[in-house]
Amino acid sequence: MIAPGIKRGTAELAVLSVLEDGPLHGYEMARRIEEQTHGSLRFTLASLYPLLYRLEKRGWVRGAWETSGTGRRRRCYRLTAEGKKRLAPIRREWAELFKALRRLTKVARA
Amino acid sequence: MRDWRALVEERLADLALEPEERTEVIAEVAAHLEDTCDEMLRQGMTEEEAVRRALSQAGNWKDLRRKILTEKRREQIMEKRIRQLWIPGFLTLILSMLFLTVLYRLGLRARLVWSGPNAILLYTPWLAGLPLIGALGAYVSARAGGSRGTVLLASVFPALALTFAFLFMFPFSLTIELIAGRPVDFSSVATVLLKDGIGWLLVPGAALLAGGLLAHVLVSTRASSRNTAIS
Repeated sequence: MIAPGIKRGTAELAVLSVLEDGPLHGYEMARRIEEQTHGSLRFTLASLYPLLYRLEKRGWVRGAWETSGTGRRRRCYRLTAEGKKRLAPIRREWAELFKALRRLTKVARA
Repeated sequence: MRDWRALVEERLADLALEPEERTEVIAEVAAHLEDTCDEMLRQGMTEEEAVRRALSQAGNWKDLRRKILTEKRREQIMEKRIRQLWIPGFLTLILSMLFLTVLYRLGLRARLVWSGPNAILLYTPWLAGLPLIGALGAYVSARAGGSRGTVLLASVFPALALTFAFLFMFPFSLTIELIAGRPVDFSSVATVLLKDGIGWLLVPGAALLAGGLLAHVLVSTRASSRNTAIS
């Protein structure tokens, strides 16, 4: 399992990345992140929704209420043009960080 | 069928947001828990176990409430602080300094109170006008919805600003004297500091506070009598 301190920094990237594939509501987002990271990244309500509200305020995602096929109302989030623009440098920063850490700690061989 | 909305409402009872925004947050969190519970039921859990697991996966409710409030009200808090403290505070500071300059230009000088070595220089015409300026600052802050503490802080803002200036100025000038190699008499510095502190900070601060308190009492009395009339 990844320590909470490390997870906190990756949360923004995780959310923006899953939204790149299309709009999702909070629960779907959390489930998809958990599935795609094989359970290494798990969101609680307290870690997901405040982050979504922050990203929404920045204008990187936009939330809107939608009614699903089963008649349930869910607030779906989509990546905005600004969010798409921001995702690329964040990815680059993380890639650089991982590269540096690999060189420094030989994490890849651990 | 479980009422998730009521359950979330109960747990986020202290979520101090605008009613519409609060309803949206509660509906969104309730929908998340409902989906989590449904997933557990699909996996074959009993309803009781699914509800328990969904709630435990929610994490700390107090933490959730605090974080949501911080995110949703970050700008509001800043905006409020500017309207309730910084604008009235700087208004009292500018007015009190302008007033002092005008009095000086008119030739009204500070007067010594008491004679002998313990004499303190007081700018009495300035001090006489300060309660009015303090009251004005307090009124502007109260009109913007400031709490009692903020209202009084806004009224004494010039005295606080001068205190910071004094605290910065004295060690600075002392350092310059020491660097220049001039002897410093620390006992006379302490006496000057005390006298100037009383004459330029303490007494003006008290005058501003007196005006601020009076304005606060008047504004709260007016507000409470208006509320009584409405109810």
